[in-house]
Amino acid sequence: MRSLAAGVILLATLAPAQQGTLPVPGAKPKQYVTYAADQQNLAAGKRSVMELQFRVAEGYHVNSHTPKSELLIPTKLTLDPATGIKASPAEYPAGTSYSFSFEPGEKLDVYTGAFIVKVPVVAEEGQHTLNGVLHYQACDNAACYPPKSLPVQLAVTAK
Amino acid sequence: MVLGIALLLWAGWHNLRERRLAMQKARENQVVLIPEKQAKPGAEGEDEMAPKMRGKKAPAFVLTNLDGKKVSLADYKGRPVLVNFWATWCGPCKVEMPWFEEFRKQYASQGFEILGLTDDADAGKDVIAKVAQKSGVTYPILLTDGKVQDAYGGLEVLPMSFYVDRNGVIVEQTAGLGPKEQIEANIKKTIASGAVAQAGGQ
Repeated sequence: MRSLAAGVILLATLAPAQQGTLPVPGAKPKQYVTYAADQQNLAAGKRSVMELQFRVAEGYHVNSHTPKSELLIPTKLTLDPATGIKASPAEYPAGTSYSFSFEPGEKLDVYTGAFIVKVPVVAEEGQHTLNGVLHYQACDNAACYPPKSLPVQLAVTAK
Repeated sequence: MVLGIALLLWAGWHNLRERRLAMQKARENQVVLIPEKQAKPGAEGEDEMAPKMRGKKAPAFVLTNLDGKKVSLADYKGRPVLVNFWATWCGPCKVEMPWFEEFRKQYASQGFEILGLTDDADAGKDVIAKVAQKSGVTYPILLTDGKVQDAYGGLEVLPMSFYVDRNGVIVEQTAGLGPKEQIEANIKKTIASGAVAQAGGQ
């Protein structure tokens, strides 16, 4: 009976042990940039500038809108057309200079931490919603990550 | 009494057989589930850097090279191969590519080969060829098809390398740019792994 009991205990302990070592999908964020949604209040019928606030996760950088090499993928905001509000092309901040430690001679132009993209708009009176996407490509100090699209939604009230 | 003893003997034999089967099953599972000693504890499943393909058979693929010819992993059967995913926009990838070229020449006599799989096939052949040439690469550059990335566990980080031994098993997987010495150590391990398995099998 001892062997039977041992067998039962062995089998009982093996099952959870196997489950415990199975790879579990990580909770790591798939996005390396976050968007802080903010209600925008504008004067109806007048040109106003909306500010969209983004933040690059700590330890990462993304190419600026004007990277120094044509091979690099620029950060770019694309907004869908919406009724009652007309958006002009986005205005991007200047990037900061960055070099990988393994390639100190090659200067990149990147965003790190918080950055703001400005969008001039003219809106009719009322509530509006602008939808769009921020396209970017992130790297850290030793690896790069495939290009991402971050959904952006902007609630606008024009009075 | 005799019947009782016979029953006890049968139960003992039956339990022993069950235990052996259970142990055998546990050992089989260990191959897949327990990371090698080089892996950091708990590294599996924590992030996209985890070497989740290590110990598995390298997924087969047939891709097109820059000359438009079909190239498959099976073409290199019996040879140690480094399958390296890279992209033209990936700075760290381009740092290690000249190292790969150097090691390719150094270990060519042992059958070692490198296949560079471009993760941004939409960049266009000309751009890819130009970047590869600038990096001093002469090993085959293949254009990915959108499926091979998934077959290799989904590529959420570049560069990503899979060291495939002569038996087609991924003996090491690395993500991101590592030290040159580590890359060479992985190549040596890949060459040795296949050689040991082949010698053992003959």
